[in-house]
Amino acid sequence: MNKIWRVASTEYLNAVRSKAFLFGVLALPILMAISVGVQVYAQKKTDLTPRRLAVLDRSGQLYEALAAKSRARNEWLRTAENSVSVEMKGRRLKLDMPRQPEFVLEEFKFPGGDLKAAELQLSGRVRRKELFAFVIIGRNILAPGATNHAELLYHTQTPTFHELPGWLDSTLNAEIRERRFTAAGVDSKQVRQLSQPVPLQRLGIAEQKSSGEVIAARHENRIATHAVPIGAMMLLFMVVMSSAPPLLNTVLEEKMQKISEVLISSVSPFQLMLGKLLGTVMVSLTLSTLYLVGVSWMLWKFGQLENVPGHLFAWFFLFQLLALLMFGSVFIAVGAACSEIRDAQNLMFPVMMLIMIPMLTWMAVLQSPASPFSRALSLFPPATPLIMFLRLAIPPGPAWWEVALGIVLTTLFMLGCVWASAKIFRIGILSQGQAPSIPKMIAWVFSK
Amino acid sequence: MPPPLPAEPNRPAVRLTNVTKTFGQHTAVNRLSLEVPAGCTYGFIGPNGSGKTTTIRTILHIFHPDSGEVEVLGERSTRAANDRIGYLPEERGLYKKMTVRRVLAYYAALKGMKRADAAAEIQKWLAKMGLSEWADKKVEALSKGMAQKIQFIAAVIARPELLILDEPFSGLDPVNLEVLRSAILELRAQGTTVIFSTHDMTMAETMCDFIFMIYRGNKVLDGTLAAIQQGYGEDTVRVNCAGGAELLRSLPGVELVRDLGQSQELRHRDPQALLRDLASCTTVRHFEVCKPSLHDIFIRIAKPDAQELQPPKTSGGGS
Repeated sequence: MNKIWRVASTEYLNAVRSKAFLFGVLALPILMAISVGVQVYAQKKTDLTPRRLAVLDRSGQLYEALAAKSRARNEWLRTAENSVSVEMKGRRLKLDMPRQPEFVLEEFKFPGGDLKAAELQLSGRVRRKELFAFVIIGRNILAPGATNHAELLYHTQTPTFHELPGWLDSTLNAEIRERRFTAAGVDSKQVRQLSQPVPLQRLGIAEQKSSGEVIAARHENRIATHAVPIGAMMLLFMVVMSSAPPLLNTVLEEKMQKISEVLISSVSPFQLMLGKLLGTVMVSLTLSTLYLVGVSWMLWKFGQLENVPGHLFAWFFLFQLLALLMFGSVFIAVGAACSEIRDAQNLMFPVMMLIMIPMLTWMAVLQSPASPFSRALSLFPPATPLIMFLRLAIPPGPAWWEVALGIVLTTLFMLGCVWASAKIFRIGILSQGQAPSIPKMIAWVFSK
Repeated sequence: MPPPLPAEPNRPAVRLTNVTKTFGQHTAVNRLSLEVPAGCTYGFIGPNGSGKTTTIRTILHIFHPDSGEVEVLGERSTRAANDRIGYLPEERGLYKKMTVRRVLAYYAALKGMKRADAAAEIQKWLAKMGLSEWADKKVEALSKGMAQKIQFIAAVIARPELLILDEPFSGLDPVNLEVLRSAILELRAQGTTVIFSTHDMTMAETMCDFIFMIYRGNKVLDGTLAAIQQGYGEDTVRVNCAGGAELLRSLPGVELVRDLGQSQELRHRDPQALLRDLASCTTVRHFEVCKPSLHDIFIRIAKPDAQELQPPKTSGGGS
């Protein structure tokens, strides 16, 4: 045990004293800060060139109303505050709103009846950049029942710009609706009042304490039900991914640098492997502790810490430990079996596929955390650490026996992985030449 | 856990009994029995791929034999004696990003050495090897010769009772080679049992109390140098004559002529007849009947077309 600890502590100290660890610790917050910064910068650098739009109003009744609304919008953009005020922990924060370009409309008069020629002429102007887009409003658009979308045609060379067609769609349809109501003798104000939607409020369920006191159902908190589970699972995935796969490189490098033989003349291969594994677990726990402290501080700063249940932290560390021991031992075995990085990468693929299962399925689990699929997946050991953790993070969480069974199965599977990896490690660490095939590695597991 | 071994006076440091180790179809070591007396220097020789490193790894319990028994420093259990063994493998490396002091402290710790003892020992050995000022430098800053000396220190840092060195002198310049040779002899004088493998026959002849040669997995030589040479008889002749190696090769009964520059070494069943033949045809400046050198014996055994694959009977040394 003493030797395992010696190996583990050396692995730990080598790792945490390295620049790579410091980079690893700072990488996440730096990347997040850069990502936010770039988005803010990109928003400020939005192309605000006014978008010129030609309107061919074949109904002859809508252009003026549309132009008036466009002028009103432009006026609002020039004068309105481009920020909103949000209250957070008793303080008001001002958040910048994305800025938008003005829309400048011109009416395209086309006395002739040749629509194709008009379309061609306007297309030419778009091509020459005189116009950003043009819209053709159908002749019978105000007729009741005229729902054919061919009556309202938007043409542009920049289909990725959504603001203008979005604005046209809502503005023109509102105007058309008003006109149709008026034509039908219906009071449009009354229709609006009557058709006012009633917002659906999402709540949890009520409870009754043993004292008889009833606790009313609380409004659904999207942060607690969505952001926290997804964020916590992603953090766990990231911590596991940043710690387990590098074990392969560590072992492979020691093998390539001929250090392994000296080590296993002093410690048994099992002691060496376990020491490395525990060293990595300690590094990973240090990393996750730093991250969790940082994230908790941020959540507290923005008044959201209460949305994270305290037990989630304990589950985080438990599942991190299981995942690291399980995947870490496999990566060590692959590293020991190979003599070149290229060979190791080929053997890594199936392991990576197992690790990626939760990433491919978490959305389905989030939608229905108690479905048979989610429950079965959370009991499949390679997926348990992330999927069971996700289910635990989604209120109200899985039944206790499911969690217990998941932990037992994963622990057994993890012990199996460590045992098999130790067998492969023992033989592989001194082998040279071409990497073994998977069947050969399985044969090593069962060799004496 | 095997039962403790009974007390035995003069127990050998290493005892291999009928050890066989195979890798697939290849038998690396075949029914090998060997006894390395405590406190001696034992040289392992043999061509590349003959089984030296497998034998060493078996002694270290890195490999488990398919059959046979391995007893090291009175221990039969797996790895029980490993903390008392120092090992320098043939292919060696060090953690490049660690400082010299930390690497050595790590190896000492793996051998179960206390931190304070290790620190003192590191200081002592670095001074002995002339590397004190490199103690806190990273390994990657060392030259190849320096790194080899650090690797040697790593093997001896925990004051081993048995020191196993696989090709310790390969790649060393004469100055560093002499430093290492002196250190090994000093350890030997202090009672450490030393096993080393080498391709340098002169080094084996001058340093070893016993020589062991393995060829194609089989033991072919084992004993003191004198006993081994005795087994090969006095058919080796060292000659300095006009005409040199070319003339010697043309004479009847002459085998294995080795040109040493100033003289030639050869084998002849009847040295007196050879002397007569030489005197009748050339000027003989020097003629000496001597025991075969280890180099000569090695060549005789390991030469592909050699007839003498079976070792002659030897006396003394190991079994």
